[in-house]
Amino acid sequence: MIELTVNGSKQAVDVVPEMPLLWVLRDELGLTSTKYGCGVAQCGACTVHIDGKAVRSCQAHIGEVAGKSVVTLEGLANKEQHPVVQAWIEHQVPQCGYCQVGQIMQAISLLAKISRPTDEQIDQVMSGNLCRCGTYPRIRAAIHAAAARKMAEK
Amino acid sequence: MKISLVAWILVGVAISAVTGIVAAKDEVKLAAKDLLPPGSVSRTDGLAAWKRIEAVVTHPRCANCHVDAKAIPIWTPAGETKPRVHGMNIHGGESRIGTEAVPCSTCHMTSTQANEPAPSPPRAGIDWQLAPVAFIWFGKSGKEICAQIKDPKRNGGRDAAGLVEHLRHDASLNGFIPRGWAPGEGRSTPPGTFEDHVKDMARWAAAGQPCPN
Repeated sequence: MIELTVNGSKQAVDVVPEMPLLWVLRDELGLTSTKYGCGVAQCGACTVHIDGKAVRSCQAHIGEVAGKSVVTLEGLANKEQHPVVQAWIEHQVPQCGYCQVGQIMQAISLLAKISRPTDEQIDQVMSGNLCRCGTYPRIRAAIHAAAARKMAEK
Repeated sequence: MKISLVAWILVGVAISAVTGIVAAKDEVKLAAKDLLPPGSVSRTDGLAAWKRIEAVVTHPRCANCHVDAKAIPIWTPAGETKPRVHGMNIHGGESRIGTEAVPCSTCHMTSTQANEPAPSPPRAGIDWQLAPVAFIWFGKSGKEICAQIKDPKRNGGRDAAGLVEHLRHDASLNGFIPRGWAPGEGRSTPPGTFEDHVKDMARWAAAGQPCPN
């Protein structure tokens, strides 16, 4: 059994250590917000947070995540909507939506590091998250809006 | 209670320090087995060893993350020989591990598990990173790299024996150097083996680290 924390709950999974975290989240734990895109860390659709850092869950083997804390989009839900999710809705960012969970998790990680990112900083951090619908201008606008909201709340 | 807690912490720190010293000594011992008496290898044989070392350090598996202060890693995709900049607008930054924007470890796992077939990003037992700025190999000639590797001001303060110890230390951590020969199916590898490379570094050291003219 491999133990880890997912969205604040202790979990134990009986799988091979080489199984990607993404598989465990979706097939073993039923957390299907995180999406399979390319499987080789080239699209960012599977981005989650491991110990607070954005990581491609298709690359993290479950054996490497033992004892760590994983947060998925499901883990952001509480009484109040997360400011980044709120901004995503206000700016109607998604088109097909497939990549957007990864985009949101990466954007949260960006704002945790840089509270008021410039366009250049957004482009640099978000370049590994591909969107085939081309929603990049709305992603950028939503990140600026979320940053402004977070600053206003301080 | 507080005193006993402090005492236990101090004991823990002391044990950790001793363990670290023992591990470091083990690597020095291991490297000592590799080393040859100074002067026991001719300059000609030393230069021949260097040519083999040069073929290793200029190979894309080894040179692509030894880049300049712009900190843009290089990709040589599987099945190709032409280098190109790393995709996804990746910059190692001043930190050389991407802390400023996207850390290398977002995709390159820190792990002792085997590498997966290309194009999955390779993993290593050490956090993925660019080599320090002074250790530029990408785009440099063999002569330039030779001068850099033997210069303690540009090689992390290492003498000839220290360079061999560096290889063994990296291997003990399941680091980047031996993984150059196990990069995941589909990727090319430098010539020879990791052990051949250690032997060549020892031969080159014993010959007085000769560089090509």
